[in-house]
Amino acid sequence: MESLSRVIDRIRLYIEVTHISDIARRYFVKNGMDGSMTVLGIILGSWAARVENPYIIVMAGLGACLAMGVSGLFGAYITEKAERKKIIKDLEESILSDLEGSLQQNASEFVPTLAALVDGLSPTLTAMISLVPFIISMVKIISIWDSYIVSIILTFGTLFALGLYLGRIARERMWLYGLQMVAAGVVIAFVVFVLGGMQTT
Amino acid sequence: MQHSIRRLVLDVLKLRDPPLPEFASTLCSLPNIEGVKVSLVEIDQNTESVKVIMEGNNINLDTVQKMMKDHGAVIHSVDEVVVQKKDSSINL
Repeated sequence: MESLSRVIDRIRLYIEVTHISDIARRYFVKNGMDGSMTVLGIILGSWAARVENPYIIVMAGLGACLAMGVSGLFGAYITEKAERKKIIKDLEESILSDLEGSLQQNASEFVPTLAALVDGLSPTLTAMISLVPFIISMVKIISIWDSYIVSIILTFGTLFALGLYLGRIARERMWLYGLQMVAAGVVIAFVVFVLGGMQTT
Repeated sequence: MQHSIRRLVLDVLKLRDPPLPEFASTLCSLPNIEGVKVSLVEIDQNTESVKVIMEGNNINLDTVQKMMKDHGAVIHSVDEVVVQKKDSSINL
């Protein structure tokens, strides 16, 4: 137990030294929104195309989740690793000494992994929230049409919650940020419905 | 050992992270150190020049140096050293 608390303390110190929490927060919200919006597009598109098989929506959604997750994991890891190497070199120049084995060097090696996890898991998490009703529909607990409604409500709820979180960070009116995020979802809905309407006419 | 370092005053160049309280606490956690005082002398974009005063009994300068290096700091100069015999009671 003691070693676990020591590991947590060390991670906390790494986060403090590298100031990664700000970056991780941005990764989380930005990619979380990406996840929700992508699946919202899939769901609305499926609705417009009158897809009645929840399996198709779940598989399309999971495929998108996986792609976003893997892209986030690798993209964030490589980007953050390169950025951290630059920072360490700049610091070494500032202090006129190498930082091999130092706290800063160890923290810089740990931070890309944390950034990759946040970047990879956040879109997967938010996308999965939207897919849950269709998974329930696959086992015939609710109908596919009810799944569409519940899923769209959950997706807009997720977007609103991400907005509230941003409003809390900015220390401004949280609901206003929430509504801005929802507005982005409404734009997708509008475009998909227009395209769906054009196809049926 | 007959003699021991009781007090050290160091001119140190350190990175801005970890901040002074954590840096001082880390130094104070070293063996034989009874107290540490860290004063900011100059601040730059990435670095801080600090004056470190350490008091204790039988302070090991190599250990101090290693701990500083591990935390992104280098000793520029040793500005003051107080060395006393182990049983000495005089106050320099």
